[in-house]
Amino acid sequence: MAKPEVRLTAVGIAFAIGIAVLVIRAAQVQLVRGSHYAALADSQRTETVVLPARRGVLYDRNGVPLATTQESFHVGLAPNELRNPAAAARLIGSQLGLSEPEVQRALRRRWAYFDGPFSSAQVHPLRRLRGVHLSPVFTRFYPDPDFARSVLGRPPAAGRPAGGIERVFDSLLAGTPGRAVVIRDGRGRVYESPSRLSAFPVGGHDIQLTLDMSIQEIVENALAEAVDRFGADGGDVVVLAPESGEVLAVASRRSDGSAPASAFTTVFEPGSTAKIFAAAALLVHDRVVATDTVYGEGGRWELPHRTLVDDHELDVAWITLDQAIRFSSNIAMVKFASRLRPVEQFGMLRDMGFGSPTGIEYPAESRGILRRPRKWSGTTAAALAIGYEIAVTPLQLALAYAAIANDGILLRPTLVREIRRADGSVTYSHRPEPVRRVVTPEIARRLRAMLRSATARGGTGASAALSTYEVAGKTGTARVAGPGGYVPGSHIAVFASLFPADDPQLVMIVKLENPRGTYATLTAAPLTRAVLEQVLAAQTAALDRSRLARGIPPLPIPVVPVDAGTVPFVVAWPDTSARPVRGPRLVPDITGLNLREAVRRLHKAGLNSRVEVVGDIVVRSRPVAGDSVEPGGMVTLFCARAGSL
Amino acid sequence: MTTNALSPMVNWQGRLLAIVTAALAVFGVAAVYGASSILAVQNGALGASFALRQLTGVVVGGLGLLVAARVDYHVWRRSAWPLMLVSLAILWLPFLPGLRGLVPEINGARRWLAIGPVRLQPSEFVKFVVVVWVAMLATKKGETVREFRQGVLPFLVIVVPVCVLILFQPNLSTALLTALVSGIVLFTAGARIGHFLILLVAATPVLWHELVNVQYRLSRMVTFLSSGAEVTEANWQIQQSLIGIGAGRVVGVGFGEGLQKLGYLPLAYSDFIFSTIGEEWGFVGGTVIILLFGLWIWVGLRIARGAADRFGMLLAVGLTALVGVTAILHVAVTLALIPTTGLPLPFISFGRSNLLVSIFSAGVLISIGRAGARARR
Repeated sequence: MAKPEVRLTAVGIAFAIGIAVLVIRAAQVQLVRGSHYAALADSQRTETVVLPARRGVLYDRNGVPLATTQESFHVGLAPNELRNPAAAARLIGSQLGLSEPEVQRALRRRWAYFDGPFSSAQVHPLRRLRGVHLSPVFTRFYPDPDFARSVLGRPPAAGRPAGGIERVFDSLLAGTPGRAVVIRDGRGRVYESPSRLSAFPVGGHDIQLTLDMSIQEIVENALAEAVDRFGADGGDVVVLAPESGEVLAVASRRSDGSAPASAFTTVFEPGSTAKIFAAAALLVHDRVVATDTVYGEGGRWELPHRTLVDDHELDVAWITLDQAIRFSSNIAMVKFASRLRPVEQFGMLRDMGFGSPTGIEYPAESRGILRRPRKWSGTTAAALAIGYEIAVTPLQLALAYAAIANDGILLRPTLVREIRRADGSVTYSHRPEPVRRVVTPEIARRLRAMLRSATARGGTGASAALSTYEVAGKTGTARVAGPGGYVPGSHIAVFASLFPADDPQLVMIVKLENPRGTYATLTAAPLTRAVLEQVLAAQTAALDRSRLARGIPPLPIPVVPVDAGTVPFVVAWPDTSARPVRGPRLVPDITGLNLREAVRRLHKAGLNSRVEVVGDIVVRSRPVAGDSVEPGGMVTLFCARAGSL
Repeated sequence: MTTNALSPMVNWQGRLLAIVTAALAVFGVAAVYGASSILAVQNGALGASFALRQLTGVVVGGLGLLVAARVDYHVWRRSAWPLMLVSLAILWLPFLPGLRGLVPEINGARRWLAIGPVRLQPSEFVKFVVVVWVAMLATKKGETVREFRQGVLPFLVIVVPVCVLILFQPNLSTALLTALVSGIVLFTAGARIGHFLILLVAATPVLWHELVNVQYRLSRMVTFLSSGAEVTEANWQIQQSLIGIGAGRVVGVGFGEGLQKLGYLPLAYSDFIFSTIGEEWGFVGGTVIILLFGLWIWVGLRIARGAADRFGMLLAVGLTALVGVTAILHVAVTLALIPTTGLPLPFISFGRSNLLVSIFSAGVLISIGRAGARARR
């Protein structure tokens, strides 16, 4: 049996060779080419993904969210993975709001994709379905898309540049995206692997704006209504808190319904509203005393280059500075301002912030136009005194009036109250930022007194007066300059106001372009009053009601020595001219009105209100319309939702 | 020579074989778990479901080994013909009408026999039977195997139909393996090398026909011959197998850490399990497995050399070849040395039919070795 031994050895040698070949080949693959294959393996199955960071929330000053970020989903569908295609198709169709043919078309494809994005609630029932693949995305959500739209702006997106606050603070709001290395399997599915997270996403900062949602809403609605009612081409409203420089509301509206941020970006000639700055310069440089008068020229004064006309007839021939403001006399202001040197007149306007950017946190801002004295023509000094040859934005004008309200200190305006990190820690909290002292507190008080007189009975701003609190303010009706001089019939009505007059908490600029009714007295001033009445009725924290109620003692009435022959105009305070009659009063008919309007009417009638059943529209009141109630009595309102009527 | 059946004594070769077998089988359960758990979970099953099924195979196979080691191996010589007839009958089943339930079609092939919940692969058992039968007949023929008409031809009369039936399941690789193992037994028995060459030439047209007609085999072949070419669907499998093994480098990425099983490497727990082992245990681990198989083959051939009689020797060579050739070919496939075939790695790959037969074969080898040791004493 020698032969089988040999054959066995041969078989053994064959096996040995086979095993040696395997080991050599394994060494070649794993040791020599190992790094090559390891690199191939890594490249085919790992993927670096960017984990989006949650964009910060924008809040109003009271913490009401104005722009939030929500997680939503794109939905992918692999029809061959579905266990029960018919039932899945029904569920997908109903949850995502897709039509039957759309779903059927998707089911015939190898892979269908629904961009959406769909909300968490919509996709939740689909999570359990095999074959449905959700990819989360963050989407920006605006609870009220039109609310302060131009100010808030929109975050950058494909094919659309960012705007507004979303743009200015984009780097803060955006946060820092995270990075992760994920493992991808042979079918392209991705496995979450937290251990390979290389950077956590850090959510963006939350920003609390200075805007007050209630006031902003009131302003937007009132402006829209006014633009409509007066047939104006457009208008702007700016509401500031004078002590902090915080913008409480800013609204702009064109007659076509669009709302550009023109309160920051477009300029106009302020007209009579700028007279107060000439008065300020005269007081600062001590060029006038209270008894100084100029001749009124009977309301018409021919100058070499132009003719000045006073629109309001005065019953006095000689006019004091206070009267010039109160009755908005162009002739008197030009005459008074001629006592100023150009550099003094220019200096005051420059100190008030005109001709320079305000520094508001908005992507675009106009600095306005204020020419240096050496570029002035012969008429510039006179024009500046009555608000021409100067161009300002509504915001600049509001800030200048806020300086008067704030005892003479000009503040930098702001839209941002507080910035917080995603973890809630505060990184920035707004403090008033003084730019400069423009006038002394005493002069500021005098200027306020002048403005207060303008809203008193007989003043140009009387139509802005409230029945409860006093408003100080100045009207302006400016002609509009075109390429070849002033455009006939084209004008801007402005009303700048401080509320309440004695201890201002709000400064408001109301501007209407080409309103029917022309004069600011008839247009911008009533709009101001409508806004103020609603703000008083609203539950807003922007007004310090304890300060309103305290009834700060009136400023000493300037003692005007009686001059022979002139009847000095004594500014009464508190103004009693519009004070309502005493005694029981009638409940107005407020059924069918919206709640805010109803409360406003009751407030105007000197009655308090209480809402029993909340809703949009008042359906009845107790006591009913026509009943008499003591002043300050309570009226209970019953409301219903607008749709349920 | 026939009275050693009840001796409890097992020589060192038997013990070593049992230890290597046990080591490989236990490692196999772990490897199957590592390679299959993610797939099992994705299909909604328990992560360990594959491994638990494999474990039942190991337990049943272990009992089989104990029985086979104690039973006198001559029982196989006596039962060779009945077993062969049963095998032929079972291999006919797929071609009979009305037996879809018993012989279901899975992945385009009818390789499995479904008996209740248990699914068996008859060809795995048939391979064992063929080895037993060839060893029996070669023993009976003695020196006659050197002739063609009286020696080789009778083998062909049975082995060729068996291989053709397996080929038609279709299962080319098992058919070829069966033929190869039969050839090794005949070669050891003393058949002429010239006869093998003649048979090889005769079989060439059949093999060519099979390769060309069945598209996937052709594409595998083309893939193998052009392995440097760009990745296509055809060479994806082998490319992924190499990436996996290669990425394991010296010591591997660690048990269970391999990522090729995440849908990159098909059948990572069975036909390509050595690729998973190479990835997770590296060159060191892979070489240890290869050398364990080398040790197993060496012990098997030593048992053959020391067998008490000619049947014992031929049976030992056949069973050693059955496990050894399968193992070498499996590893060769994963290392892209030969075209892709569906061969398992004995003891380790998921699949209980092969596991049972392999472990049982070890038991028979132990029995042969024990008889040889007693004969020498």
